[in-house]
Amino acid sequence: MKKEIKNLTCERGPYSTKVGRSSEVYAGGGHLSSTARRAAKAASRFNFHVLIIHFILIKIPFHSHPFSSHIFKRHFLPQSEAPDLASMAPRKPREPQVFDSFYPVLALVFILVACVELCDAATVVDVYRLIQYDISGVPFGSRAATLNHHASSLHFPTGADLSRTVLIIPLCELNMTFLQECISQKKRLGGLLVLLPRILGSESLKNDDIKCPNGEGVIKGLSVELERLLVHSTIPYPVYFASEGEDIDAVLADVKNNDATGQLATATTGGYKLVVSAAEPRKLVSSTITNIQGWLPGLKSDGDASQLPTIAIVASYDTFGAAPDLSVGSDSNGSGIVALLEIARLFSLLYSNPKTRGRYNLLFGLTSGGPYNYNGTHKWLQSFDHRLRERIDYAICLNSIGSWDDKLWLHVSKPPENAYIKQIFEDFSNVAEDLGFKVDLKHKKINISNPRVAWEHEQFSRLRVTAATLSELSAAPELLERTGGLGDNRLFLDESKIAKSIKLVAESLARHIYRYEGKNIQVFADDSSLAINPTFIRSWLDLLSRTPRVAPFLSKDDPFITALKKELEVHTHDVSLQHEVFEGIFTFYGSTAAKLHVYQVASVTFDLLLLLVLGSYLVLLFCFLVITTRGLDDLISLFRRPPSRKVKTA
Amino acid sequence: MTVFHFFNCAILTFGPHAVYYSATPLSEYDTLGTSVKAALVYLGTALVKLVCLATFLNVSENDSFDPYQELLKALIGFIDVAGIYFALTQLTYRNISQNHKFQAVGLGWAFADSVLHRLAPLWVGARGLEFTWDYILQGLEANANLVLSISLAALGSLMWLRKNKPKTLIPIIYVCALIVATMPSITSYLRRGMGWHFPKVVGFELFTSLVMAFISWQLFSACQRPSV
Repeated sequence: MKKEIKNLTCERGPYSTKVGRSSEVYAGGGHLSSTARRAAKAASRFNFHVLIIHFILIKIPFHSHPFSSHIFKRHFLPQSEAPDLASMAPRKPREPQVFDSFYPVLALVFILVACVELCDAATVVDVYRLIQYDISGVPFGSRAATLNHHASSLHFPTGADLSRTVLIIPLCELNMTFLQECISQKKRLGGLLVLLPRILGSESLKNDDIKCPNGEGVIKGLSVELERLLVHSTIPYPVYFASEGEDIDAVLADVKNNDATGQLATATTGGYKLVVSAAEPRKLVSSTITNIQGWLPGLKSDGDASQLPTIAIVASYDTFGAAPDLSVGSDSNGSGIVALLEIARLFSLLYSNPKTRGRYNLLFGLTSGGPYNYNGTHKWLQSFDHRLRERIDYAICLNSIGSWDDKLWLHVSKPPENAYIKQIFEDFSNVAEDLGFKVDLKHKKINISNPRVAWEHEQFSRLRVTAATLSELSAAPELLERTGGLGDNRLFLDESKIAKSIKLVAESLARHIYRYEGKNIQVFADDSSLAINPTFIRSWLDLLSRTPRVAPFLSKDDPFITALKKELEVHTHDVSLQHEVFEGIFTFYGSTAAKLHVYQVASVTFDLLLLLVLGSYLVLLFCFLVITTRGLDDLISLFRRPPSRKVKTA
Repeated sequence: MTVFHFFNCAILTFGPHAVYYSATPLSEYDTLGTSVKAALVYLGTALVKLVCLATFLNVSENDSFDPYQELLKALIGFIDVAGIYFALTQLTYRNISQNHKFQAVGLGWAFADSVLHRLAPLWVGARGLEFTWDYILQGLEANANLVLSISLAALGSLMWLRKNKPKTLIPIIYVCALIVATMPSITSYLRRGMGWHFPKVVGFELFTSLVMAFISWQLFSACQRPSV
C-alpha cells in the first residue's frame, strides 16, 4: 500500500515538469515571444484605459450593492456571529457567491501585474547560452550568464575597449580569425551574441530565406568551425546564441549605423543595452543517462528463445553542441535513431508471423552518453549477463547515415581478415552493390590505454563482442565533434539517403537471418508491404530535428525518452529503460536558455539636455504668462525686489 | 538614469500647471480651493464617463476606427462639458472674479486629467530602461490639454455666465466650444482613422490648442469690451 502511494506521487511529481518541458521542446526555440510582447506593449496604453473601466465596473457593484456587502460582513467578520450549526447550514450554498465576487478583483490584480511586466522592454529574444562544462575540473565553455552591457557590432572602432560591450555577430559575417585572437589573447569582452541564420534555428524555413551570400554549405562549415572553437576554449564572459529575426535584425542595423560614426556605445552616448538577468550557473547534480532496449525474440522449435543467437542494432541518441538547447543533431545521430526505429518496425512485421520469424533474436538498443566516449553504451553492456553477451552474434551500430554522397563506411576494430567481420562486410557490400552504391571497410585498432572511444562498436569490441559501425564518416571524430551540434540541421539531411541506409542494413540483416547470402532477393522491395515507409522516416526526423537532447539535461522521464520508449514498444517486446548515473570526468552547468531584453537607452547627456530645455521652457512660459496677465513691469519687479511680492500679497 | 528621465517627463507633464498657477494672478487671489473643487468635479465626471464608456462601448481588439463607436464616444465625451458647466455654474466659490474663475476651473480640470491619465503610465513606463519618445510626447500632449481645458472653460464661462455679450459673437462662441469639446474625438480619429503617428498627432494638438486659445482669448476680450 505504501509503495503504491509512493509510486503515485512519483508519477505525479514529474508530470508537471514534463508538461513544462514538452511545451518548451516542441514549441522549438526561435523568438516566439518577442512579437507578442511588442504587440502587448503597443496595446498597453490602451489597456490602462480599459483597465480603469473594468476596475470601476467591478468596484461599484461590490461596494454599493447592499446584498454583497451583507455577505461580505457575514463571511469575513465571522466573530460577530455565534458560529452555531443552525446558521452554518444555510450559509454554505452562498459561499461560492462570495468567491465569485472576488474573482474579478483577483483577475484585476493579475492583469495589473502582468501589464507592469509587459511594459518592460522593447524587444525580448530567446537566447541560448554556450555550454559550460568541466572536464576533470578543467573549465570549458562560457563561464558566466549575466549580461548587462551596451551593444556593438563587428564594425566597432579600432582600439576600442570592449570590456563593457556586447558584440553582436551574425554567423555569416563571423570573422573566425578575429574570434580566435580574442579568445587566445584572453581579450576581455562584455559578452558575445552570435546570431544564427534562421535555417539553423528550430523553425525550418524555405531556402530563399537564407540571407548569407554564400549559401547553406558555408553556414554549416562556419557553424561547425565556430562550435569547435567555442566548445574547446574557456571564455570568461557570457556567450549567447540567438536566431535572426526581424526585431534583432533591426537592432543590429541600428547598432551598425551607430558604429559607423566611430563611437562606441556607452552610457554617455546611449544606444542599445542588452540585458540577460540570469542566476549564477549551477553545477548539474545527479544527472542520469537512460538507455532504452527492446527485443524481437526469434523462433525456436523447442522451448526457450533465449538460447538463440542475437544480433544487436544499436544507435546512440543523445547530442552535444555549443548550445545544449540548439543541439538537435538531425544527422548525428538522428538519422541513426530513425534507421533503428524503421528497422525495428520492418522486422516486427516479419517476426509477427511465425512463418517468417527468423532464428535470431534481435536486440535494439538506443544508448545515451554517445558524445562522452559512449559512456552509456559501456554501462548498458556491463549490465548484461555475460552469457547473453556471448550469444550476441554481432552488433551493428548506426552513426550519422543521413548525408553521405556515394559511399558508406563500415568501421571495425577487429582485423578485416576476421571471419565474422568478413562475413558482415560481404553481406553489406553485396546489398550495397545491388542498391547501387559502395560500402568500404575501415579498420582502426583499439588502444586500450587510451580512454577515448571514437566509435560505438569499440565499446562492444572491448568486451569481445563482434561489432561494426555504419557511418558516412571516413575517419573517427575527435572528442565532442560530430555530436549533433549547431550545424547539424534537418536542412542538411537527405531523406532518400537515410532510406537507402535503412534498406542496406535491413536487407543485409535479412539475408543473414534467412540465409539468403549471395542470392539476389529483395525482402524489403519498394512496392511490397515490407517497403520502407518514407512518412515514418520523415515524421521522426522532424521530431528529432526539433528536440534538443543533450544527455545531462534530459531528465529520467523526459517526454522524448518516453516517446522513444513508446515507439519501441509498438514494434518490439520487453522494452526496458536503464537509468544510470551520469558520472565520469564531465561536469555540466545549468542556465542554458534565457531571455534577452534589448533596451534602447538614452544617454545621460541627452537627459541633461532635455532637463535644460524643459527648464528654459518653463521659465519662458512663466515670463510669458506674467507679461500677458500682469504686465512687463510686474515681471521686472519680481526679479528686482523679491520681498515686494510678499508685501503685496500680505 | 531612468529616474532622471522620469523626472524630466514629470516636469514636462505637470510643470506647466504649477507655472500657470504661480505666474498668473491666480496665485495672488489664492484660488487653489476653486481648482481643487474643479479637480474633484473632474474626478466625478471621469467616473460617470468611464461607466458610460464601459456600458455602451465594446472594447475592440484591434485599433481600427469604427465610426459608430467613435460617435458614441464623442457623445459620451460631452459629459466633460456638463462637468465643466457644473463646476462653473453650480458650485459656489468664495468671491472670485469671472476672469479668474474660469482659469482656476480650467487649471484644476487639466491637472486632474494629467494626474489621472498620465501619472500611472509615466510611473510604470518612464522609469524602465527602455527609452522612447512617447513619454515626452505625452508631456507635450498634457500641455496642449491644459491650453484646451482653459479655452473650454473660458468659452463655457462666456456661454453660461456672461449675460450681455454681442449677439454676433454667440454662434462663433458655440462653434468654438463645440470644436474644443470634440477635440478628443478628432485626435482619436486622426490617430486611428487616418493612421497618424503619435508625434504628428501631438503636433496637431499643440497647434490647434494654440489656435483655439488665441480665438477664445480674442472672443473673451471682445465680450469684455462693451462691459468695460
